Amino acid sequence: MAQIEINGAKLELNDEGFLTDPSQWNKEVAAFLAKAEEGLETLTDEHWSVINFIREHYLQNNLAPMVRSICKTTGLPLRRIYELFPSGPAKGACKLAGLPKPDGCV
Amino acid sequence: MTGHNDAVPTGGTPDQPDLAGGLRTLRTVIDSRLAASLNSCVHCGLCAESCHYYLATGDPKAQPAFKVGLVQSVFKRYQTISGRLFPALTGARDFDRGTTDEWIDSLFGLCSMCSRCTLNCTVGLDITRIVRAGRTTLAAMKLVPSELQTTVDTGVQSGNNMGISKQEWLDTAEWLNEELQQELASDSILLPIDRSEVNVLYAVNPREVKFFPMSLMAAARIFYAAGESWTFSADYYDVTNYGLFSGDNKAAALMSGRLQDALRKLKCRTLLLGECGHGYAANRWEAPEWFAATPEFQITSIVSLIADYIKQGRIKLNPSRNTKRVTLHDPCNLVRMGGVIEDQRFILNRAVTDFVEMYPNREHNFCCGGGGGQLSMTRFARRRIEAGKIKAEQIRKTGAKVVATPCHNCVDQLSELNKEYKLGVEIKTIAEIVSDALILT
Repeated sequence: MAQIEINGAKLELNDEGFLTDPSQWNKEVAAFLAKAEEGLETLTDEHWSVINFIREHYLQNNLAPMVRSICKTTGLPLRRIYELFPSGPAKGACKLAGLPKPDGCV
Repeated sequence: MTGHNDAVPTGGTPDQPDLAGGLRTLRTVIDSRLAASLNSCVHCGLCAESCHYYLATGDPKAQPAFKVGLVQSVFKRYQTISGRLFPALTGARDFDRGTTDEWIDSLFGLCSMCSRCTLNCTVGLDITRIVRAGRTTLAAMKLVPSELQTTVDTGVQSGNNMGISKQEWLDTAEWLNEELQQELASDSILLPIDRSEVNVLYAVNPREVKFFPMSLMAAARIFYAAGESWTFSADYYDVTNYGLFSGDNKAAALMSGRLQDALRKLKCRTLLLGECGHGYAANRWEAPEWFAATPEFQITSIVSLIADYIKQGRIKLNPSRNTKRVTLHDPCNLVRMGGVIEDQRFILNRAVTDFVEMYPNREHNFCCGGGGGQLSMTRFARRRIEAGKIKAEQIRKTGAKVVATPCHNCVDQLSELNKEYKLGVEIKTIAEIVSDALILT
């Protein structure tokens, strides 16, 4: 467990860098995690289109979306997703969108 | 469906575990062979030098002999006369909450069930079996770490370990099919679903379907080039089996049985297991034991099938498409436990121009640190990354730019090691490398 502080708010990350309480997420948290976890200095519109869709999907379904839905909704080609998020859709994009770690081999 | 070494169901909850029920399970899972093993450990300590957890941390609790001792001391206390009469003199130990906490921390938290210690044991103990017997006992008391248990439950309840709905699966297969048709200028079905009486039923890791479908397209490209008749099942396609790691044989048999039933329903000839180490060990080697029956069809790894395609001239490769230096990580469950050792080397020698081994390799290879359910157990994540230092050093010494490995679980752990230890490598599956080298006419 690691404690971080963003704009005065204290947040907790689990041992894999995922937000312990997904409800504490906001855009500043995403930007912080982007830098700390993915080495991304800035988040572009392409990043945000992926992050925002994942976040909305999670709030509605309590689950991470399929990478197919991410591509279909954002219009980004599959290969681009892995370029945008070096750790991939799960440990990269979903983490930045404040989701808990998905089950399975990830 | 259930075998002789199942957990005995207990009452109790994780907060109030049924310890007596746990002991009944322990008695069931420690058969005469394991009992002989338990009594034979001479604590020579050689196993310590074989364990990546111990080598990376020096933690005495990571020593395989310590883990054997945890189970041994409880077995002695209740199953031997001297242990029952003189526990203090014989090192026998009561089975209480303190003991179960230590079991969880060590048997789940400091072991990836890679079997390197078993291979190196001077008196031939099956240490992995002993660890798994302990895990089965904990499973009977509902004491499996919740993150691992959830992965098992999701597999049992939804048919795959990521909870992918049938519609999502069909939509993804259709999408990939369209992409591939476009790429290959073909109007054939290139990712078929529920085709019956074909040669191959292909089972894959759900993480490919949900997050990493490039490897599914790579396999489909290879099947297309080889002219293979194959299919996915609409219902059951998950090659993974986390029941193997949680110690729950009933769940494990249920999941493995679904793949077998899917094959029988579609009347296919070969159950083809995707690049998944433990999926191979579970479905190829453990399932016949869980069912006490040898299946009437062939079960093989896609790695072996690709090697056959090359040998038979069914696919042609141009290695000059893969010119970066490639090294190979041997997944413990496919190689040390599974016996698929040379096929991946045969393939890489023909698919890339600069293939180098890491040392040690083959059955002596070190675990990446991600096996045994470790990837799912966040509470032990720091330990698996630390233990992965041994693997990171092996990789660094090769000077390779690409690490090939026929296991998606290893891919994920190696990707984390790549980040943590700044290795600057790409991690790829065998099918992805072959697909890149494929000559499509």
